[in-house]
Parts: sequence; structure tokens; C-alpha cells
Amino acid sequence: MTGAAKYTEDVSVEGALHAVFVRSFMAHARIGDIDFGSAVGMPGVVGVFGAGDLDLGPENSDEVPDVFARPMLANETVRFVGEPIAVVVADTLAEAMDAAALVLVDYDPLPVVVDPEEALARGAPLLFPEHGSNVAVERNFTSRAPREREPEVVVTGRFLNQRLSAVPMETNGALAVPDPDTGGLKMWIPCQAPHWMSREISKALGLEEKQVHVVAPAVGGGFGAKIATYPEQIVVAAIAHRLGRPVRYLEARSESMVAMTQGRGQVQHVRLGATKEGMITDLEVTNIADQGAYPGEGSSLSTLTRQMASGVYRIPYIHYRTFCVATNTTPTFAYRGAGRPEAAALIERAMDMLAQELLMDPVELRRKNFIPKEAFPYKTASRARYDIGDYEATLDKALEMAGYEKLRKQQQERRAAGDVKQLGIGLSCYVELTGFGTDSSTVEVHEDGSVSATTGTSPHGQGHETAWAQLVSARLNIPHERVQIVHSDTRLTAKGDGTMGSRSLQIGGSAVHGASVGVLEKAKLLASHLFEVSVEDIVQHDDGRFGIAGVPDSVVGWGELASAASDPARLPEGMDPGLSAKDKFGYDDNTMSYPFGAHIAVAEVDTETGQVKLLRHIAVDDCGRILNPMLVEGQVHGGVAQGVAQALFEEVVYDEDGNPLNANLASYDMPTAAELINFETAHTETPSPLNPLGAKGIGESGTIGSTPAVQNAVIDAVNHLGVRHIDMPLKPERVWRAIRRTAG
Amino acid sequence: MEILSPSSLQEALLAKSETPSAVPMAGGTDLMVELNFDRRRPDAILDLTRVPELNGWERADGVIRLGAGVTYARLVAEIAPELPGLAIAARTVGSPQIRNRGTVGGNLGSASPAGDALPPLLAAGAQVVLASATGSRSMPLTAFITGPKTTSLEPGELITAVSVPVATGPQQFSKIGTRNAMVIAVASFALALHPERQAVTTGIGSAGPRPLMATAAESFLKGVLDEEGLWDTHGPILPAAAIRFGELVADAAQPIDDIRGTIRYRRHALGVLARRTLGWAWGDLRKGSR
Repeated sequence: MTGAAKYTEDVSVEGALHAVFVRSFMAHARIGDIDFGSAVGMPGVVGVFGAGDLDLGPENSDEVPDVFARPMLANETVRFVGEPIAVVVADTLAEAMDAAALVLVDYDPLPVVVDPEEALARGAPLLFPEHGSNVAVERNFTSRAPREREPEVVVTGRFLNQRLSAVPMETNGALAVPDPDTGGLKMWIPCQAPHWMSREISKALGLEEKQVHVVAPAVGGGFGAKIATYPEQIVVAAIAHRLGRPVRYLEARSESMVAMTQGRGQVQHVRLGATKEGMITDLEVTNIADQGAYPGEGSSLSTLTRQMASGVYRIPYIHYRTFCVATNTTPTFAYRGAGRPEAAALIERAMDMLAQELLMDPVELRRKNFIPKEAFPYKTASRARYDIGDYEATLDKALEMAGYEKLRKQQQERRAAGDVKQLGIGLSCYVELTGFGTDSSTVEVHEDGSVSATTGTSPHGQGHETAWAQLVSARLNIPHERVQIVHSDTRLTAKGDGTMGSRSLQIGGSAVHGASVGVLEKAKLLASHLFEVSVEDIVQHDDGRFGIAGVPDSVVGWGELASAASDPARLPEGMDPGLSAKDKFGYDDNTMSYPFGAHIAVAEVDTETGQVKLLRHIAVDDCGRILNPMLVEGQVHGGVAQGVAQALFEEVVYDEDGNPLNANLASYDMPTAAELINFETAHTETPSPLNPLGAKGIGESGTIGSTPAVQNAVIDAVNHLGVRHIDMPLKPERVWRAIRRTAG
Repeated sequence: MEILSPSSLQEALLAKSETPSAVPMAGGTDLMVELNFDRRRPDAILDLTRVPELNGWERADGVIRLGAGVTYARLVAEIAPELPGLAIAARTVGSPQIRNRGTVGGNLGSASPAGDALPPLLAAGAQVVLASATGSRSMPLTAFITGPKTTSLEPGELITAVSVPVATGPQQFSKIGTRNAMVIAVASFALALHPERQAVTTGIGSAGPRPLMATAAESFLKGVLDEEGLWDTHGPILPAAAIRFGELVADAAQPIDDIRGTIRYRRHALGVLARRTLGWAWGDLRKGSR
């Protein structure tokens, strides 16, 4: 760590104006007069803009009816606390803040609905009355095959997959600088997909995509919350474009906690059926997905939950109903795992309940129902096509690392002794889906013998600079310190889908790999031309130089080849100048890779106070072939930390008027190092057949696998007291209440 | 906003008498949060970090006079054996960074019902020392904190020190929070045993408008210990007595419902904390480790 990375806020542009947003402090209200009066005349103020002043259309999404479109600045109605209404632009941040405090908004309060289930009810306050209900999308899914047999045993539950805040250390922001050369803008935005930003912002401003040059400098975490192009970013771009002056904004933390998209937020009514022997017969789910105030792209995530609801099991029949619901809360969208953690939590919790009902060890129940490794590729009843898997192997490894039998014995001893502190062992066998979209790469060797590779992924801490350099170096035999990875700049890279959804290595990395192979082939062809021998006779020596098999004296290095490649006279006929090659990679429609794993959590529950202490967490993940173990380890550790946080600590809470109650870091319980433990990690490697690297995603596995394991562990610690389920986060009071309820 | 930076106690008291509205600041771990949330906009801040008289501690006649500017980190490092209950609480305050900045004086000045240092100070029988340009006075902590975030501090006064009797018996502290570090406690409890005068004292935190003493619980426990001669024999306290002690502590609390916890849970948790701290403290006494 050097402290030298440059974030958006560190990009200094002379004369940049500062934008500060006036945000709603009502969760639902009709806006009356907005009085800019005294703000306009404040020192340093350059402009104050409301919805009518910027000529920006609302943001539509194909996922939902147009009526749910979100205006860039609220006009007529505000629908969540934090929604931007107006923006003040001034010479300094302090001047903009002071003036923003003087913008007076008349609110005419409307009834508020916060709870997604209440939003479904007849007579609930409507966010979009013209739509006639708060349900933006309703989906009914039934598996193709009919129900094979009726269940003999059924467990049901209502599970809350609570709303979370992503809390990247760097908040959202943007810097927009007019570019006289293009008549457009150059923008620095902390984001996960610069090309998407460029597309959305140019569309909103009526510019050509190439007129909006977007750079994602060092980005301080995204976790899904920096995927969306935010209204604030579009507004800042529009103002810079209109004023012809640079404009920047950066959210304060408590602003970011209400403005940035939040994640999860599902209520799941689950019914899992099985035979008396524990063979699953069917799964029925009604899923209410809380989309917040503006259902949009986030409404697609519950489809992923449905798709992954079958988990690692053969489930012959699935019926799945989804309601994407509007509520007077911050809009929800992707958060590390985005729809798949909710699926893993749903099925893994239900499996534990079923095991409890059948008086069967949760390991045994899982084994009975695993999709066997011979069955891949396997199509689930929920219509996912799993590429490859070996679920027994990850479970076996996790059980061995945990010392499962011994743990169960210790649990029995504590139960028999009636200890105040009881032991719980929680399992989670998960599978998830990764690898959407396409990416391109151009790899070029330069005359100094160095090589550069572009990528459409946009690393913000994942270490692509290291991993992609490894790929190039391995293919070309050029030392990795001579490899430069070019990323996160829409001018310098071909279109790509950025970094999200655990896609980068398998898609972006495969393109880098493909382009490297192309360069190697071209180098050999060129060498054969220069040496006037057949390409089959060209060999690459250990030092990276090329020569002729059996003729040690004739060698040519990468730099010389690059020089030759730039001279048309030295090129073979039909060869393009430049020692470079391009590749594009993406899966076919509906093809994905499916990483999997088994996590085991061991927790101690104080039955008198409900306090939970996580004692151990074992994570065995299979992300296919591993390119860089240290980077994989980093992803697993961070992911597990966030997954544990959902199980034990984090939850965005609103009061009944829609006021956020913990929208700051003093009260939103993110875990600190003091809450976490040493994670025990291991891997199995089942290469994916879908890409040349054999890789699958690892970025979200930790989050997906860990949460249900920890939740199951806590409930397992007290299920002998009659507790069947406790909703997350498992804070002391909630655990204590569950124990108390059953203990009578 | 004006920032006043006195470099001696005399300067500080003078500044406070000239600008009574100036808000004193030591580590800033409470005040900066308040400013950041725009809950307060004082016209002046009185920075006390450069006042040497506030930054020391001394021991005289069995009492530690702890300067208001002594940080939790120093307290833990330097005075833990003398003030064990306060030291346990200090170790649970925030994070290392917060313990390096935060001070007991600040905790007293904020007078939050959730201030971690307050229950052990109550149990230890602390006296708060106040000074103004015209003189100084001291008063028991019970009298100093008058309600949620309100104190008997007069406009021209500063907290200069807190006088805490050196422990003569075991002291314990325990709290429950929604995570381990950097969180406001759901409930906390401190207990001090005084074998030399055969007394029991307590402090309840986060479960009332201000830190409270559970006097009925104290006299009940003293009664049990006296009656059964346990002060002398160091014999075991019967579980029923420990449970009753916990119930009386829970009864003494005046908690509220908020995002961190409900009335019911806070009372329940206090009962458990009281019973457990008693178990630990009595165990310490029996082991003879003071």
C-alpha cells in the first residue's frame, strides 16, 4: 500500500465547479413550490437547477413498465428520502453546501409504504397511482416437467433476506470536463463499467457515445453499487456541458447511504417438499422483491434468484412466483452476488429446516439430493444449465477441514450439559452463475520489447493488472514487468462490460489470452518470413526470442519483430502492420459458468443474551482453474467478510415514515476486524469447459456461500430448544427473542 | 466558527469565562460526530488538547485524580491495576484510534447514558472536579449528570479531573452491543465490591436517561453477604441470590425502545450482565486476587 493511487477526487482540474444536491427529506410527498431565491444570490453560486431546467428525460428500463421511469431530478413527486430535487453549482464546495441549505422546497406529504409486503396489500399507498398497484413486475414460473410425486413431508418458512448497503469506502461522485475537440465531455467517474457510463450519459445528453470519454481512475470499491449510471452523474455531466465549465461532485457518507443503490431486500415464502426418506419432491416460492422507489434494472435480479433456487440439488418440480414491488425507500440493485445469495440463502435454509423436520443430519440430506457429478451439463427445473460440478468433493473437503463428527460430538456434550453457551454447526452448499457479456482485448508488442494489452474489464482492487499480465507473459514469454494492462478508459479500450458479476477473468481474461495467442502466431509467421523458413520450423527459446529449430545462431527478439512489423516492406503479403492481435470473447446466449462450493460455519450462541460468536468459518470454493491463488484468496476473504456481515450485523432500517434510521457508519453495523475471525479456505479445481482458461468467477462466491452457513450455524445452536428459524441479521436481541418464544 | 486553543488551564478557564458558549473539545470523538451530522453548530470550540494540567494523573491518599484529558489508551496502560473496572470499560471503548483520542473527561462532558466509562465510575464512587475562572468545586458523579446529555456544569466551568478511589476489591464491567467494536452499547453494567467496608456498588449504562446505580440490588446483595458471613468466609453465593441480584438490577433500569434494543431486552440483558459480573467479581475475591 503506497497511498499513491489517484481517485476521482484526486484528479485536479482548474476552475472546476462544485455541485451539491438538494435532497428530499420526505419519503413520499408532492412537491409544491421550490424557492431558489436566496440560494441564487449567495457568494460563489453559478447556478441552481431543478427538474425543469436541464432538459433531461427520465430513465426507463426494459425490465418494468415506462410509468416507473425515474426523473433525473424529482419533479412533482419525491418517492424516497435522499432523492435529488435540485442542484446548486458554486465555485467552492462550502459555497455550494451553504447555498443548497437555502433552497426551500414545499412538501405536501403523501402516505408512505416501506414494507414490501405491505406495498402488495390492497389499499396500500401507491407510488405510481397511474399504474394502479405497487407491483412493477409479476412473474409466474413453473418448471417444464410436471410434478412427479406428492411430498410426504413439507417444511414452510418466511425468510427475510434483508436490505443491505454496499458501503464502498469511496462514495459516488463524478468530474465532468467539457472537451472542445469533440464538443462533448471527458469524465472521471468511480464506476465498474466505464463503457456503460459513456453509453448512458451520451444517450441522456443527446451526444454520440464517443463524445463522452469516461475514465474510471482508482475506484474505492463498488460491490455492485457502482454499476448504475446515477441521475446525479448525468446531471453533473449535463451542467458541465451546458455551462462549458468543469463540474464535480462527491457524496458525503450520509448522503451516499441514501443515494447509492442498496442490495438484497427480498421476502421469501418457501415451501420445500420431500419424501420420508428425504428425497426432495418439489419447491414452491413466492418472492417479494423490494425494488425501492424506482423499480428498474434491479427488477432483473429476482430472476437470477429464481434461476438459482434449485441450488446444488435435483429438484424435479419448481413453482416460483415473483413480485417486484415499489416502496418509498432507496432503489435497490446489484450488491455482491446480486440475486444469487438470496437463492442460496433460500434453499440452504429450507434444507436445514427439512433436515430438522426429518431428524436427519443436514450433511446426509444434502448428499442424498446432490446433482451427481456424472450429470453435467445439468439443466435444473428452474432453468439454469450448470456447466460442470462436483458438489460431493467440496463438501467432503469442508467436512474434513472442519472435523465435522468431532464438532457434532462437542455440540451433543454441550446440549447434554445444558451449557449456557451452545454450539452450532452450519452448512451451505452453494452454486452460482457467472460470466455474462463480452469483452475485447488488443495485445500489442512494442519496439522496445514491451507489450501492452487492453481490456474491457475495469478493475477496482481485483488485481487484473497482475493477473492479465500473467496471462500475457505466459503466452508470449515476455517478463510480466514488461506487460502493461490498459483499462478503464473508453478511449483506450474497445467496448467491454466492465467488472461485475464475477465475469472478469473468464470473459475479459479469455479475450486477453486469445489476443496473446494471436500475437504469438503472428510473431512466428513474421519470424518465418524474415528467416525465410517455414513457420513450422520457428521455435521460441527460453529467453523469449525466436529462432529456427536446430539453428542456434539465427535469433530474433520481440523488439526486433515489432520493428519489422511496423515496416510494410518487411511484412509478408497480407499481414497487417503492427505486432498486435485482437480478440473478443463471450459465451453464447444463456450460457454461463457455475462456480460452487461448501462452507461450514461454527458459532457459539449465548442462550441467555442471544449473543453470537463466530468461532470458525471454513470455505471450500471451486472457481475452476486458478490463475493467481493470492488474488483468489483476497476475493474469498472479502466475500466471506461481507457474507458474515449480512448474517450477523447489517441491515438498512427505515421507520414507518420512510426515514432511514441507520444511514451512517455510526449506526450501520458493518463488521470491523474485531468482529471477524481467521477464515479457513481451500479449493477444488473443476475447470469450466466454457473458456480456454477453465476459469469460473470467484468474486462473489464468498458472499454467496458464507451467509447461509453462518445463519444455519446460529439456528443449529439453538434448534434443540425448538427454534426453527431466525431472520437475519442475527443480532443478540433477535436470537434471544427466538429462544424465549419457544422456551415459553 | 472560532477555535480557541489555550495552552494552560488558566488560559482555558479564562477563555471559557469570556466565551461561555464555547464547546470544550478533547479527543473530539463525540463532538466531531455531532458537528458532522449537523446536530450542533457552536460558534466557538475550545480545544483542550494543549492544556498540560488536564493531561496527567496522580495518586494521593488512596484516590486517583485523573485529569480530564487522559485518554482511554493511557488509562489502560498506566492505571489499570488501581482502577480495574474503569480499565475494563476503557478497553471496550471504540477502536484503538478512538481509545487514543477519547478521554474520560469527554465521556463526562457528553454525559451520554451510553458513555462506557460512566457505569464503572459510578460504581467506584467517583467525584467530578470542576473549575472556573473564579474557583473550583467537586461533586459526586451521581449529582453531576442530571439527565440525558445534561450536567450540572455551569456556563463558565470546565471539567478538570475526576477523582476515583483506588479499588479495594474486585471490579467488573460488561456490556452487550450489536457488534464488538465501535458501537453504542445496548446495555452495560459495572460492579465494585468493597470488602474493607463490606459494601457493594453498581453502575448501569445505556438503560436509562442517565447512568444509574441499582441501590436496591446493592443493599440486597450486601444483606446476603453480611447475613451469611460471606465477606469473611468467601464462600459461594447461592444461585438464587445471584438471580435476585440480577432482577433487582433489571428493575432499577429505566430503558427505552430504540433501534439498538427494546425495553424488554435491555432489562433482561442487564439482569444477565449483573449476575455474570457478580460471578466473576466474587470469583476474583475468592481467588484472593483482590
